[in-house]
Amino acid sequence: MNFQSAVNHINMLAGGSIPGQDLLDSSQIWGVTIAGLGIVFSCLVLLVLVIFLFGKIFEVINKKKADKQAAKVAANAPKAVPKPAAPAPSAPAASAPAASDDDEVIAVISAVIAAMSAADGTTYKVRSVKPAASSSLGGRTAWAMDGRRNNVMPF
Amino acid sequence: MEILNILMDILMGLWETSGLRALMDSPENLLMILISFVFMYLAIVWEFEPLLLLPISFGMFLTNLPAVLPEDMMYHAEFWTMEQNADWLFTVLHDGGLLDKLYLGVKLQIYPCLIFLGIGTMTDFGPLIANPKSFLLGAAAQGGIFFTFIAAALLGMSAAECGSIAIIGGADGPTAIYVSSKLLGGGGDYNLTTGTIALAAYTYMALVPVIQPFFMKLLTTKKERAIKMPQLRQVSKTEKIIFPIVVTLVVALLVPSAGALVGMLMFGNLLKESGVCSRLVDTAQNALMNIVTIFLGISVGATTTAESIINPAFVKVMVLGVVAFSLGTCCGLLLAKLMNFLSGGKLNPLIGSAGVSAVPMAARISQKVGAQTDPTNFLLMHAMGPNVAGVIGSAVAAGVLLSVVSY
Repeated sequence: MNFQSAVNHINMLAGGSIPGQDLLDSSQIWGVTIAGLGIVFSCLVLLVLVIFLFGKIFEVINKKKADKQAAKVAANAPKAVPKPAAPAPSAPAASAPAASDDDEVIAVISAVIAAMSAADGTTYKVRSVKPAASSSLGGRTAWAMDGRRNNVMPF
Repeated sequence: MEILNILMDILMGLWETSGLRALMDSPENLLMILISFVFMYLAIVWEFEPLLLLPISFGMFLTNLPAVLPEDMMYHAEFWTMEQNADWLFTVLHDGGLLDKLYLGVKLQIYPCLIFLGIGTMTDFGPLIANPKSFLLGAAAQGGIFFTFIAAALLGMSAAECGSIAIIGGADGPTAIYVSSKLLGGGGDYNLTTGTIALAAYTYMALVPVIQPFFMKLLTTKKERAIKMPQLRQVSKTEKIIFPIVVTLVVALLVPSAGALVGMLMFGNLLKESGVCSRLVDTAQNALMNIVTIFLGISVGATTTAESIINPAFVKVMVLGVVAFSLGTCCGLLLAKLMNFLSGGKLNPLIGSAGVSAVPMAARISQKVGAQTDPTNFLLMHAMGPNVAGVIGSAVAAGVLLSVVSY
């Protein structure tokens, strides 16, 4: 194929220059192919840039919003949360830095350990409860994994 | 005796104008009717895109039921090779059969655009907005279209035929019908019709789960298939609302001939994402979509006359169609491999094959092949990005073909 003539052809392509009934010569074939792929790519690359830019702008806006909200929450929050009463000496003390709102989970774990300590006579102390990140399951529990698999299965 | 003669004349007249008599003259129509049964079987028993293949195959059945008198025919192939002017429109409306009149919606480019409106109301562009790089994969998979264009041209097809066959590689039924109905005026050496193109496109779309996995496994290593991609970020509602407007703006300004398809797709999506037009969304994605699908299917099926199918060109279309699908899949996979290499192994190349726009089938295949390698790998949402980008990409490619080839 003659590459130069193909490139020249691209300039002539605008406006339906190839009559539908005509057979194509090689420069037309390559012209359409190069121009076609070129236009599709440039159009979608432009979209990538525009959407990427939009994403960045929204990231900034959302961050500002979140900061504002956080500031508001901080301002409204009571100055100091009263510390809970010290636990009874026999009850295990629990602290969970990773999941502070999962009080129920901690309560359940503590209760099980308390029952265990009552059974075998030694006293255990729960110092912290941390969710284990399993690398093979992508940080999910087996149950969460199974749920996800079930959700995707219909596809 | 007089009465008996008259009776015989009437009976003879009925026989002469009956379909049975015509069928004796044109055995190829009988063959076409049998072929339509094959496609009905594929649609009903194998569930090959039944929502479209069944109407198409029944349209094929109807159009090949012969009639002696032209006014009894439901579809007239000769109407669609005429020069299209005011007289032509009057002829179709006045002398045309039911399927001629329904086919006007295809010829005048109405149905594919309305289908795109419905698709827009059902599409979530979130994965694409979260990962705009997916657009590139949607563009790469359109390579199938343009490389098939080369192949068709080398086989000695005319420009209009090359464009119509190549667009099958977009793996998008409405787009294929949009392009081919505009480019093909019937006639020509090969007698290609929109129906031929649609049959090939929908058959192969149903065969995506058979065609794609082979190339996906061939072109990727086990290690690549096992790559896990990080979860996509959350996309805000405002972004989802602005997206369709921006895409329409960019595409319609760059490739005006793709404006109708992309514009309707994005209009549907804006209706959905705005959240304030639930009644319109409901109509566009259910009632309107179903009505248009029926009209589109049966009238496109009607174009599959005996001359257009019992023809060596049909075999060529089917072969080039599968070439187009395979090339599209490979182009997407190869660019995804390159992007994976450039990103330092963070992109699973399997999502590249989803760049062909068969939504959501191609994305499902990416998920499935990925899960075969590692059952804890979830690629579905990552593959949806290139998948919906492919719809936009093939609409742009359609626009390019329409602006290059005159009709």
